[in-house]
Amino acid sequence: MAWINMNQLLLFSAIFRLILIIYGEWQDTHMEVRYTDVDYLVFSDAASLMASGESPYKRSTYRYSPLLAFLLIPNSIIHRSWGKFLFSALDLLVGLFIHDILKRRKVPEDLCLYSVMVWLLNPFTFTIGTRGNCEPIVCAMILWTIICLMNGNVVQAAVWYGLVVHFRIYPIIYALPIVLVLDQCFFQSGQKPLLVNWKSSQQKTSQNTEGPGEFGIWTVLKRIFTRERIMFGLISGAVFLSCTALFFYLYRWEFLNEALLYHLTRTDPRHNFSIYFYHIYLHYEREFSMVEKLISFLPQLVVQLVLIFCFAPDLPFCFFLQTVAFVAFNKVITAQYFVWFFCLLPLILPWSNMKLRWVGTCCTLVWIGAQSHWLFWGYLLEFKGKNVFLQLWLASLLFLAANTFVVVMFIRHHRCCPVFRQLKRSSLEKSE
Amino acid sequence: METQQGIQFHTCQKVGILLILFVGIGFGFCMHGSSPSSEVARCEPNSESNNLNISSFCSFKKYIVKSYFEKYESFVESKFQDFLVDELPHSCELLPDNLNAFLRLSVPNRLLTGEGSHRHLYSMIRLNFQPESINQLPTHFCKVIVVERLPSGVFADPFELQHLLQRRVFTDVAVFGDKNLELPSVASNRSVVEIHMNVNPNIFFGQTNELEISIDLPLHARYQPLGESGYSMVEFGTPDLFVRCCMEGNLNNQSCLFAPSSDSVETKTSAVVWRIPSGTKIHTGIVSVITFVAAFISTLVIVLTSMFYSDINCAKTFKLS
Repeated sequence: MAWINMNQLLLFSAIFRLILIIYGEWQDTHMEVRYTDVDYLVFSDAASLMASGESPYKRSTYRYSPLLAFLLIPNSIIHRSWGKFLFSALDLLVGLFIHDILKRRKVPEDLCLYSVMVWLLNPFTFTIGTRGNCEPIVCAMILWTIICLMNGNVVQAAVWYGLVVHFRIYPIIYALPIVLVLDQCFFQSGQKPLLVNWKSSQQKTSQNTEGPGEFGIWTVLKRIFTRERIMFGLISGAVFLSCTALFFYLYRWEFLNEALLYHLTRTDPRHNFSIYFYHIYLHYEREFSMVEKLISFLPQLVVQLVLIFCFAPDLPFCFFLQTVAFVAFNKVITAQYFVWFFCLLPLILPWSNMKLRWVGTCCTLVWIGAQSHWLFWGYLLEFKGKNVFLQLWLASLLFLAANTFVVVMFIRHHRCCPVFRQLKRSSLEKSE
Repeated sequence: METQQGIQFHTCQKVGILLILFVGIGFGFCMHGSSPSSEVARCEPNSESNNLNISSFCSFKKYIVKSYFEKYESFVESKFQDFLVDELPHSCELLPDNLNAFLRLSVPNRLLTGEGSHRHLYSMIRLNFQPESINQLPTHFCKVIVVERLPSGVFADPFELQHLLQRRVFTDVAVFGDKNLELPSVASNRSVVEIHMNVNPNIFFGQTNELEISIDLPLHARYQPLGESGYSMVEFGTPDLFVRCCMEGNLNNQSCLFAPSSDSVETKTSAVVWRIPSGTKIHTGIVSVITFVAAFISTLVIVLTSMFYSDINCAKTFKLS
């Protein structure tokens, strides 16, 4: 792929984002419908409150960490678009991180570039950053955590991981695969973990025998208490708890209720992509019983556990599947959640033998088609005032089916490739 | 050589990222002078900052409804009507007693525009003055105050109104009562919007004796209680209208609130009704069952695929060794 290199791609993406931000400014001032995300106005208000020494939670519907409001304080000092530039810069940084991770795994440059393009030129991603959505921050922190792990820098990985869980909570689902991967076969103090090359996974995998499914219960228990695992658990836990404690000290229950408990207990009766929305609406007038809550939580839990135990050694692939499944089974799904797995998608594409022409296109069309179908009914309900709750709910069932289909296709066409290989040659030979 | 290239490559990337940040800051500085900075959009009862240039030399409580909510926690129609009758001043020494005779307010046109969950309540308010008697009024300026008692199931977004206020669509506006924008109808209380519109001073100088004020209030539907028919009918009552004038008195400038008696407020329009889709009770059983069955099947498919293919794909990879 001689026609473009990484720098040119980044430069092009940067200019493109810059144009979109300027266009957004124009649309906001000249048109009735704003380009800027409503949430961005919420962050900005919260940041402005924080700048004047007040609690960001005085802004109703601000349901994020105070760190976000803090990052956006320049919005009221420099310019209101500051946050969009910050998010877009982080969005480019995610592109760089994707390139970096793939390079470390010795993926050929052209494949790397194609994969990076899937992120940088994805309409979902560039609109999300330039409209002022904060998800690129979360994506960047997650990818940086992966890079730290690949570098063998467990302490730094733990710090960032603790921070990202404080920031957005959902990355808590990655805790178990990270802990599983921090095995003493791969991580030993003073030694940099060895990475499996892309090439070897294409022809033969010589090193890794730490196959999925070989995690017996006893082995897992025995291996749980390695130095790296304890360190990772303690440090990330400490970072998470200290952030929580600090902000609880500053903003009291407002912080805990809005930024933490709200997300954990959120059940939204308003229409969204989740299959549960109509069920929640129909039962809103009475309390949900414990059994019902458990039943709706169970599919999510089971799928997460199975994916982790099947694919944990192939960390990015495991993260990707976990995220798609987590979003698909969640009680509330909004379009911004899709960015959570879009940032992981380029990390697994080089290991997929899915033919772009047929299966790849088919997956994309099924997913986008199901989503557009849902959006059509959503439009009729929200903007035309038609009673199409039933059709909309059926559309969300179809969207779940599309997500399931995509997960199945990705699993079928993925060449399993653990990220790390064993450090000791002796144990390696034994297992071979 | 390679390392050198690598360093150069990384530096270029870092420079790229820094560049967009710097451009951002530069862009920020350029734009800063030309546009208002994003101020906190608080459209709350305690926000007294707007329009100080006009009201500062008149001593009055800015919002009428604020006094009600200082006394009561939630909006109850009967209590509010009692409050309007009992607690608002209905006479003013500076105003002639027969004000009702020469000032009439009417709402000749009132309708809902737009479709779906986000609509506008359009109201036209007409003021009629008798030019010969208006000369007696020693006024600085007057405002028309419209109090919209929103029915249950409909809300106004304070932040959206603040945005309109910045664009000078209203002179002043505030939302009182339940401001939670996300709760469905069954879990929320009613809210009241108070809108202030400045009256063109020309009216007081006999150039015209009629004035029309159009108010377009953006409203949003909450999720309605479940029903049988699939739609809820939400009916809007007539707005409460007031005129507040800032008078040139003997002592200081004083403000006078004038609540036209009911016979001087005419509403010629029929009731405004919003038909909002609502969940249907009979769906409850089937929706719950199918939702959980779908979740179960989907779980099963993913679990089986994972177990089967993680064995095959990974085993194949490992076996090759």
